[in-house]
Amino acid sequence: MLDVFLLILMQTVVLLAAAPLSVGLIRKVKARLQCRQGASVIQPYADLVKLFRKQPVISSTASWIFTATPYILFASTLAAGLLVPVFISRTPLSFAGNIIALVYLLALGTFFLMLAGLDAGSPFGGMGSSREAIVASLTEPAMMLSIFAIALTAGSTNLSTIVHKTALLEGIVTDPSPHLMAFAALVIVAIAETGRVPVDNPATHLELTMIHEAMILEYSGRYLALVEWAAGLKLLVFLTLIANVSAPWGIATSMEPAALGIGLAAYLLKVSGLAVLIGILESMFAKLRLFRVTDLLGAAFILALLGLIFFYVLRG
Amino acid sequence: MPLMTPPIGSQLVDLGSALLLLTCFGIVAQRRLSACVDLFALQSVFLSLTVTLVAFLTGVHHIYIAAALTIIIKAIVIPRILKKVIERLNVSRELVMNINVPASLLISGLLVMVAFLITQPIIPFGHLLTRDSLAIALAIVLIGFFTMIARQKAVTQMIAFLVMENGLFLGATAATYGMPLIVELGVFFDVLVAALIAGIYTNRLQDAFDSVDTAHLSELRE
Amino acid sequence: MSDFTTTIAVSLLLLAPLVAGGLSLLLTGSRWLHVTNLTSIGTLVTAEVMIARAVLAQGSLTALGEIIYIDALSSLILFIIGTVGLACSLYMRSYMDEQVARGVIAPKRLNLFFFLFHMFLLAMVTATVANSLGVQWVAIEATTLATTFLIAFWRRRESLEAGWKYLILCSVGISLALFGVVLMYYSSLRVLGDVSSALNITQLEQVAEQLDPHILKLAFVFLFVGYGTKVGLVPMHSWLPDAYTEAPAPVAAMLAGVLETVAVYAILRCRSIVDQSVPPDFSGGLLAVFGLVSFALAAFFILVQHNYKRLFAYSSIEHMGLAMVGFGAGGPIGSFGGLFHLVNHAFAKSLAFFAAGNIHRRFKTVEIDQVRGLTTVLPWSALALLIAGLALSALPPFALFASELQIITALGSSGLPSEWTQSNTGFPVVVLLFCSLVAFGGLLYRITDMALGAAPKDVVTGEQWSVGHVPIILLGAVLVGFCWALPLPLQQLFEAASTLLVNR
Repeated sequence: MLDVFLLILMQTVVLLAAAPLSVGLIRKVKARLQCRQGASVIQPYADLVKLFRKQPVISSTASWIFTATPYILFASTLAAGLLVPVFISRTPLSFAGNIIALVYLLALGTFFLMLAGLDAGSPFGGMGSSREAIVASLTEPAMMLSIFAIALTAGSTNLSTIVHKTALLEGIVTDPSPHLMAFAALVIVAIAETGRVPVDNPATHLELTMIHEAMILEYSGRYLALVEWAAGLKLLVFLTLIANVSAPWGIATSMEPAALGIGLAAYLLKVSGLAVLIGILESMFAKLRLFRVTDLLGAAFILALLGLIFFYVLRG
Repeated sequence: MPLMTPPIGSQLVDLGSALLLLTCFGIVAQRRLSACVDLFALQSVFLSLTVTLVAFLTGVHHIYIAAALTIIIKAIVIPRILKKVIERLNVSRELVMNINVPASLLISGLLVMVAFLITQPIIPFGHLLTRDSLAIALAIVLIGFFTMIARQKAVTQMIAFLVMENGLFLGATAATYGMPLIVELGVFFDVLVAALIAGIYTNRLQDAFDSVDTAHLSELRE
Repeated sequence: MSDFTTTIAVSLLLLAPLVAGGLSLLLTGSRWLHVTNLTSIGTLVTAEVMIARAVLAQGSLTALGEIIYIDALSSLILFIIGTVGLACSLYMRSYMDEQVARGVIAPKRLNLFFFLFHMFLLAMVTATVANSLGVQWVAIEATTLATTFLIAFWRRRESLEAGWKYLILCSVGISLALFGVVLMYYSSLRVLGDVSSALNITQLEQVAEQLDPHILKLAFVFLFVGYGTKVGLVPMHSWLPDAYTEAPAPVAAMLAGVLETVAVYAILRCRSIVDQSVPPDFSGGLLAVFGLVSFALAAFFILVQHNYKRLFAYSSIEHMGLAMVGFGAGGPIGSFGGLFHLVNHAFAKSLAFFAAGNIHRRFKTVEIDQVRGLTTVLPWSALALLIAGLALSALPPFALFASELQIITALGSSGLPSEWTQSNTGFPVVVLLFCSLVAFGGLLYRITDMALGAAPKDVVTGEQWSVGHVPIILLGAVLVGFCWALPLPLQQLFEAASTLLVNR
């Protein structure tokens, strides 16, 4: 029992601490690719501290949903993060849920964020929410299918089992093709869910293009800090998921301190690698028009579906 | 003396075929013509690598020749021709399609399933190494066929035809470790000539119609 | 006939169009081009006669180290290629020269025309005599590539469109056929082992009974769809009317008369292998159903045509459908009827397109409504049109009537050879009879409209005698003659070929 609490504590700390870092890293990579010096990698931490100190301003039309959303969003995202194996193949909350719970926890946050966007009564918020609804409804099936494809190869929907088996080379080597498809689908899903280019641009406040930024436009002070932190956390959760599900090697499979140390180092390496990849991808592509986003997400869905088909056929 | 044991070898062949199929979907989803040509070239490279792998694993030497021809003709010469055509025509992307991209993707996904269903009864007869690639090859052929219907630009139709040829070549290698050499050479020759002819045609269509949109090709009716 | 003479004959068959094609690019002056062309086609016909005699004497022959395989069936197809090719070459003598004289094409382009024409011939001959199914495929795809510029030869917008459509549709169709060839090889490799001759007809025929029926079924479906596109079977027919309308008349005659026949030949070849392992009802049913649908649909399209070239094009689809029904119904009567129909159709259709070419040159229109009084304007062509039209509408004295009757008899006695229609043999026959009535009426109505009536005032009357009339007269004579008597060697060839199709 004690080690479960210890695990929860460690994983929470790692996730919360690393979330702003991943955002900072992506920004830095993008800046460098644009030949700018760019802000320091730890700038997001400073931003968070600054925001927590500021007085929030709340629209007079806003209801309780508006103030509750940042907490719900933060909590649900963190809970989702605790369902994913991070540096050890055991997950702290694996008794509580599996992949499906993960998907729904993330969706819960998105749902409340959409409500909050509508709640503040600003036209931008509503616009952002409706766009987010389109994207979310399209990414969800693709995400479920791609994770299922991976789950099937491991024979479990429990992420901890999946990662454990894959780390010990019990799944991935026999079937590279479904994994490849699912991986490609998951990358697209992650990009769409976390609001990165080419689906959304986190660096813009242009009313014609913004999605996520439009929803949180009315937030300020500590609420904004929580929302931003949760967004960083969500990004990190996705990166973790991709890294550990498709390439879990190096992850600790026991609670020994040495294994944990290697696991943590491998984890940070993999996630930073993915963050750099996303930074490069963002610099390579232009943002898609909203109505072209369906093309991309359709592709993700089909990829995930193919992963499933391949699984059945190759196992046939 | 084969260096790899069959299971890993056949997984790698499967992986190569899956990559081919992936680029196929890329072409279905892509609107920019030059990107389609690049994807086709990439697909041909994947094809050549997969086929080389098969040649290496089986020791059937004439497949190497076909692999080399694939690189030269399908990854270098034909993409060059198509790029030239695109440059000359001054069209960069496909705006209007007969079937839009998400629907095309879905239908292509269905076609993959159909291909697997069709080949299910005959797959067990194949070589252990490549038996799954036959289904993927048929899927690529069907998707190429479908893309031809879904798109309007002459260049995209040509790419779709070439994708079909890639699928066929994969199928030939997968099912039988390559056709007799004389047939393979003939097929390459035919494909090359077909690409050349299509290149000439698109130029003439451009001159005659000021467009290579095949939707304009509707003067001949009942 | 000794091996040596066989080799000579086969080499001549392949070399004549090859050399002539090469020379066509080098020579200048239309006279020399025509001389080369006629020499080449003459050589071709001579070689064919030699081969046909050898085939009749010894059943089948292989040459050039098993690369070439010729039996009665391929010999019969060669006969069609040669005769129609000769007629076209004679017709081109006046047709192409007039186009040059009128300035429709530059004299230089005549070289290209003859080059492509010979490549077309070469590809068709290769497809017919190749022993390997793979080489046969390559050759049939080569016919597409060679003819696509012949169809678009006038370079008008419509002809470019028709050419593009033809290229794309046929290439795609033929790609599917390649998948069928791959599957065929797949099945034969399992029996024969890894040998490069596993696609050879001679090899396949020997082991056909051991081939896996599942694979063969799938292979035949792909081959049938692929080559069926080339035959112009519904629903893969949409390139055909455009291509026939836009192509220069001799090219249209070659396409309708010969190319379709070669594609049918490819289907029959594959079928004779498939049928030894799969119950013949499978392939027969496929052929008969597609044939019947093509026949029925084309018959109604004939009824609504306002363009005489399209009229003949749809009539091609109709007759090919009918021949397919004959082959599908099978048996000695059906097979003989199908083959006889192919030959007669090839002659009648090329005659029709020669007449159409003459009419088009004089009236400058393809609309049926604007062509009247042909008997006064172009009496010889009118006669040709009437003979061809009456033959194509299968009027009793003509041979096409006899073959149609045979096919209907075969269908009536066996029904559609498939499980789901076995219980109902009468229905297909009724459909066939009704549709042939529709086609008969439609064709006859349009043809008589064109032939009779008062000629438009702005059209010059009177027909100049030219070399182009020789093939018209010859073909007309043959069509009429075939209703009375078939020359004995030809009859033997027919019988041998249909025995090949039946005995499996």
